[in-house]
Order: sequence, then C-alpha cells, then structure tokens
Amino acid sequence: MTVKPAGYQALTLSEERTGDFETKLMRINVGPQHPSTHGVLRLVVDLDGERIARISPVIGYLHTGFEKTMEHRTYQQVVTYSNRMDYVHSFGHDLAYVLSAEQLMGARVPERAQRIRVILTELNRISSHLVFFGTGILDMGALTLFFYTMREREQLLDIFESVTGVRMNFGYFRVGGLYQDVPESFEHDVRAFIASFPKMLDQYSALFAKNDIFVNRTTGVGVIPIERALEDGLTGPSLRASGVSLDFRKAQPYSGYEDYDFDVPVSTAGDANARFAVRFQEMRESLKIVEQALDRLEPGPVRDPDRRISLPPRNELETSMEAVIFHFKLVTEGFHPPRGSAYVPTESARGELGYYLVSDGGSMPYRVKVRVPSLMNLQSLESACVGGLFADMVVNIATMDPVMGDVDK
Amino acid sequence: MGLKDLFEKDVQELERDGILFSTLGKLVAWGRSNSLWPATFGLACCAIEMMQSTNARNDMARLGSEVFRASPRQADVMIVAGRCSKKMAPVMRRVFDQMPDPKWVISMGACASSGGMFNNYAIVQNVDSVVPVDVFVPGCPPRPEALIYAVLQLQKKVRGEVFDQDGVELPMVEGWTR
Amino acid sequence: MTTETAAAPLGPLTERVVESLVGLGGRLEREPFEVRVVLPARAIVDAVRTAREAGFDLLSDVFGIDWLRYPGHQGPRFSVGYNLYSIGHGERLFLRVDVDDDEPVPSITGVWKAATFVEREVYDMFGLRFSGHPDLRKIHTPEDLEGHPLRKDFPLGETPTLFNDGRFLDPAAFRAGMIGASGGLTGWVGGARKGVVAEQVDPAPATPCAGATSADEGER
Ligand code: SF4
Repeated sequence: MTVKPAGYQALTLSEERTGDFETKLMRINVGPQHPSTHGVLRLVVDLDGERIARISPVIGYLHTGFEKTMEHRTYQQVVTYSNRMDYVHSFGHDLAYVLSAEQLMGARVPERAQRIRVILTELNRISSHLVFFGTGILDMGALTLFFYTMREREQLLDIFESVTGVRMNFGYFRVGGLYQDVPESFEHDVRAFIASFPKMLDQYSALFAKNDIFVNRTTGVGVIPIERALEDGLTGPSLRASGVSLDFRKAQPYSGYEDYDFDVPVSTAGDANARFAVRFQEMRESLKIVEQALDRLEPGPVRDPDRRISLPPRNELETSMEAVIFHFKLVTEGFHPPRGSAYVPTESARGELGYYLVSDGGSMPYRVKVRVPSLMNLQSLESACVGGLFADMVVNIATMDPVMGDVDK
Repeated sequence: MGLKDLFEKDVQELERDGILFSTLGKLVAWGRSNSLWPATFGLACCAIEMMQSTNARNDMARLGSEVFRASPRQADVMIVAGRCSKKMAPVMRRVFDQMPDPKWVISMGACASSGGMFNNYAIVQNVDSVVPVDVFVPGCPPRPEALIYAVLQLQKKVRGEVFDQDGVELPMVEGWTR
Repeated sequence: MTTETAAAPLGPLTERVVESLVGLGGRLEREPFEVRVVLPARAIVDAVRTAREAGFDLLSDVFGIDWLRYPGHQGPRFSVGYNLYSIGHGERLFLRVDVDDDEPVPSITGVWKAATFVEREVYDMFGLRFSGHPDLRKIHTPEDLEGHPLRKDFPLGETPTLFNDGRFLDPAAFRAGMIGASGGLTGWVGGARKGVVAEQVDPAPATPCAGATSADEGER
C-alpha cells in the first residue's frame, strides 16, 4: 500500500523527484518478550514513518487454561485458581468469584467477613495501582518512582502476609466467608498504613504529577473519546478517564459497598494523563473506604454457619455424628449449588470483573466464564494508538494497565 | 616492589603485601559470578516477585544481579519467572538461544519447575524440557529471599563450588572456551 | 429450568427491550439472578442492535457454553451468550442463541466492535464459527493445537505425577474415581460429585441419612 503521510512533501527534494519515491508501511513486531509490554503481550504494528497506522495485539502467550481447569475443581478449590489470573489484584478476583458462587449457593456472609473483604480488596487495589505507577512510569524512563512505590507495596504485602500467610495469590476468601479471622495486629497495621500513606501520595504527586517532562509526555497522548471507549467495551479507570462514571461499587453495590462514603474520580480528558490522574485519585478514595470499614469492624463470626457450606467446628466432631457426616461430605465432595447460573459484576482495579457460573447441581462448576477486564480493555489500544507516535505506544500500554494473566486466562 | 620480588619472595610473603595468586579461570569465574545479569523474562505472577526482589528492601543489587537486561544479548542468566504456556515455549527457547555463552537458567516458581497447579493442556510441565535449568526455586510465588538464595547458589555453581549427587565436585565454567 | 422462587426483577428499560426482542422471535427466560432472552441465531444481530439503540450501551461479554454433559439437556449442543449492560439505567440483560456444531452464528462485530476479541475467543475455545467476523483467528491457543479446549469432550490434558519409587498418579483416573465414573484409586465411589448423580440422590439438603447412604456405598 502506498500512502503519502502529512508532512511528506516537506521532506522531498523537489516536486518532480517525488514520483520516484514510494513510501510503504513498515511492519514491526513488539514482544512477546519486551520490557515495556507488561509481560507477554505481543503487538504487530504497521508504521507510517513515526506514526502508527495499524496495531493489532497478539495474545495467548500466557494462556493457562483457567476456565477448563476450574471446571474440574470443586467450588471451594476454585478459589486457589481465581487469584492467579490477575496476580496484581488477586483479592479482586477472589471476591468476584466467591460472590458469584455465594449467589448460586444462597450463602449469607457475616458482616465482619464482608468488612474484612472490603478492606483487603481496597488495600489490594492500592497495591495494584502502585505497581501500575511504578512500572508505568518506568516505561517512560523514570526509574526513581518505581523504587518508591515498591517500598510502599512491601508495607501492604506485609499486611497481607500477616493475614493470609502469603505475599501474593492469597486464596483467603471462601465461599461463605473467610478462611479464618484476621490476626490481632491487623487493625494496628492497617491504621499505621492509613496514617503514613497520604504523605507518600503527596510525595509521588510532587514527583510526577507536577513534573513538566511527565506532563508533556502524557497530556494529549492516546486520547480515547467516549464513543470509542463504549464501542470498544472499555471499563474501569480507563473508561472513567474518558468521562463515563461507571463504577460497579456504586452502580451495583456488592459486599456492603453501599455503606461507605467515597467518590468516583472521573476525568473528561481521555488521555494518558487523565488515566494516571484517575488512578491516583482512586488510591485516596480506597484509603477512605478502608478507614470507614475499619471503623465499623465489629467482632463476630467470619464464616456462614450453614453446614452445607462451612465445615463444622472442630470440637463438635468429637460429640456429634451429624457433624462428622457433614464434615466428610464437604471434604470429599464439596457442596452442591442448585442448578442455574449466576453473575455478579465487581469493580476490579482494571474494570468490570465477573464470574459467570453455570451449575449443573454437581459439586464442580459446569462452566466458568470469567469476564476479564484486561481483555476487553486491550481492544481500546487501537483507538488510543492509531495516528499517534510509536514512542507513545508504550505510554498507552502502560496506562491501559493490562495484566497478561487476566488477558489470556 | 619490583618484578624480581615476585620470583624471589614466598607466596605467603606476597600475600601479606596484597598480591594474590589465582588461575585466570578462577579470576574470570569470580568476576562473572558477581555480575550475573538476568534477562527479563517475566511471564506471570512470579515476575512480580522478581521485580520486588530488586526493590529497596531485598536489594538484589548486592549480588550484582539487579540489572535486568531487555536484550538477551546482554544477559547471562535467564530467570524463567512464571508459568510457561506451550505457545510461549518456542519464544523462550529462542530468547535462550540468543543469549551469549556461557549462560544459565533459573526456573522460578512451581509452575516453571513442574507445571505447579496447572496440570493441563496449556502449560509446559517443566521448563527443563525447553531450556536447560541450573537452579529450581520452589514456591508459589517464591519469596524474593528465595530468589536471592537461588542466585547465590548459581554463583557457587559458576565458581565451581558445587557437588553432584555422588559428591564429585563439578568443574566451573571455563572462561575462554565456548 | 430452575424452580422460580423469586425471579430477577425486570427494570423499565429491560421490559421495553424485551418486548421488542420478543417481536424478533425471542423467548424470555427469567431465572433467579438473570434476565435472559433466547433468540434464534438469525435474529441476533438485529437484537443486539435494538438493545444497543434502546440504551444498553456496554457490551460486557460474549461467551459460549457447551451443553454436552449437562444432565437432561435437550436441544442444540452449544449456546452463545451475550452480556449487555446499561450504564444509564444500571440494568443487565443476557441474550442467548442456541446453535449446533456446524451452524454459523452471525457476528455482531458490525454492530459492536467490542465483540471482536470475545467472538474470536468463543471460536477458539468452542469451534463455533461467526459469519461476517472480519478476523476470525485463534486467539488464545497456539496455532498447532488441534481441537477446542472448552468443549466438554476435550480432555484437560493432565500429565501423570511420577514419584521417585516408580509409582505414578494419573489425575484423570483419580478424578474419575471422585466423580463416580470408576472406583479410582481411593476405592471411594463418589456419591454426587457431578450433576447426573445428584439428580438421583437428593441434591441440595444433604441430610444426614443421605450422606450416610452414599458413604456406605463408598465402602462397598
Ligand atoms: S508458581 Fe505460582 S506465582 Fe509462580 S507463576 Fe505459577 S501460579 Fe504464579
């Protein structure tokens, strides 16, 4: 294909000579092993000079067969898998799964468990955005912020570790509640974090939000207008940066989000800077939610006492035959939700996330379809990149914040 | 000290003066083992922990291994961090082939080492069948400390301080042959 | 399918849209947690267009389901589901077409570009073809993988676990024991791991005596 890009005339020597030149699109391949594609994303880009004429993501390099594997695990075992899909916002995936399974099962989650879930999910959202900032700005060539955000992330990981025992991939939520109660130090740790973190946020914002280089690099780059965003199925912070105030925590509150007072940051600019700014604001909002949830945290059970879902308490096993039988049934088979399907949309750090579960009455899900945000969001890359500079592509990928485990499943 | 001293004095005496004797091979291995530059080959969750191992708290820079090179041409060790799908395996082999000799591989995490919890159609069950692995790191994901320990083990291997199952000392990697 | 205790409520927008979809040959199904319209395959493009014009402005998802092993399922083997959401009204609507293996589904990419990746995913995972899709290629699986992984007759593909002393554990056989297909390694013939058996036993309220019976069966 022969194209004459704008500005092409200025480069040629004279009017007569231009006929000899033929400009072609150049096709280059980025990835799958590339430092700024956030994992194993591969992009085939057609370049017209420095500008991108066409871009098509090639994915599947991390295809793990999650959905198929989940169909071969009992409902409670699936929790081990869900968090490995989006390893940066693990609690978000766990929450989305258990909510769907609980809807199927008709489980009633105690209030304390819900509050703890919200606290952990929001803290995890912060840690996810911290990774986003660190690596996103690293992609633009600024190394320092990466070390700052990772330092704060370590603080969060310490809290997660004290609660769940692991630093990532928690598997701590259960259908019907939590695996166990949080340790005593939990409240103190989280309060310490809430006290210290806003100062850090100010530091970050001084470091980049007011930084001329950063502002010039991102303003007006990769603009996604509202119509394009909806056409592409964009959700999450990136959609809110384009001016649509859609947040499932507000739109269809789950897990008690309706009790908390928080704002949904929205920007109308739709460019890379707005996507950074929206996420930045979101961290402060998350902090608000965490604080409110912590204030309302009352002692109580963390597991639905329903014998169909939760194991009977240990001491009952010695005295009650019935408890032993339930225990045996749950351990060998798991529970059996009635036939039907369930879908609970949640707001993960990347967008709408929901598990569409189909039950056939057995103890393993018949079909698990994960509505992952990153896969849909990746389609917007085209709207953001085409016509822009090749160097800005990296900024656009960074601000879309795809997690490849989430894309490829 | 003149050159003559080198031939006249005792080894111990020279060492007291700050002169060490070694073979060139040992010297090269020593230098090499303290600057193992990894190629970025982050695949999944483990890659996040790999990132964390370079941060201020864990500071892999102490071992000279913090410089993650984007280009395999500049790397000595490939840290396979995460589950390797069958679609990715040829790419991984290619990246490995592009690395200059001598080169090493650390398989990080349960998935890379054994398929881990993903025993299914999509995942390579052991990356050792694709690239030759020197150190396996267990864990899901391994803590940064575990990765640092693996790098320490690899350094020993480079310096020729490791033994096989029968207690035979394995030779170090020669510095000048390919 | 399910016994209706409380069906999901119909919002005002959904009610309007459902009415016009029924005009296109759709059938309304109300389940406890979802409102769904089952449509003939040829009407899906019009249906999606109608819904979009009426106010469902976010295409959340397109997904496939393979009913091959679903106990008591009648009708075509596959379903393709469409998950629509209205941001303004906060309502969600599921559309579904039931198709057989060789039947192409009209692609909705002409109406909604967002369907590009997800339709490719359904094609890759289930082998359902979408007619009119601009770029129907595999998306997740490698080029040389034959078959479509999420079909129920595609094996999970586990490799046996080998122990040092030569014993090995075949996960598929192990699980066959648990779902009741064979005695398996534990000798415990699972009572109701899968829906088929759950039909015959008493599914939901695992009463102590039902539990005891299946436990007895296991010992035999
Ligand atoms: S070993 Fe665990 S953490 Fe590492 S890639 Fe596999 S699932 Fe993720």
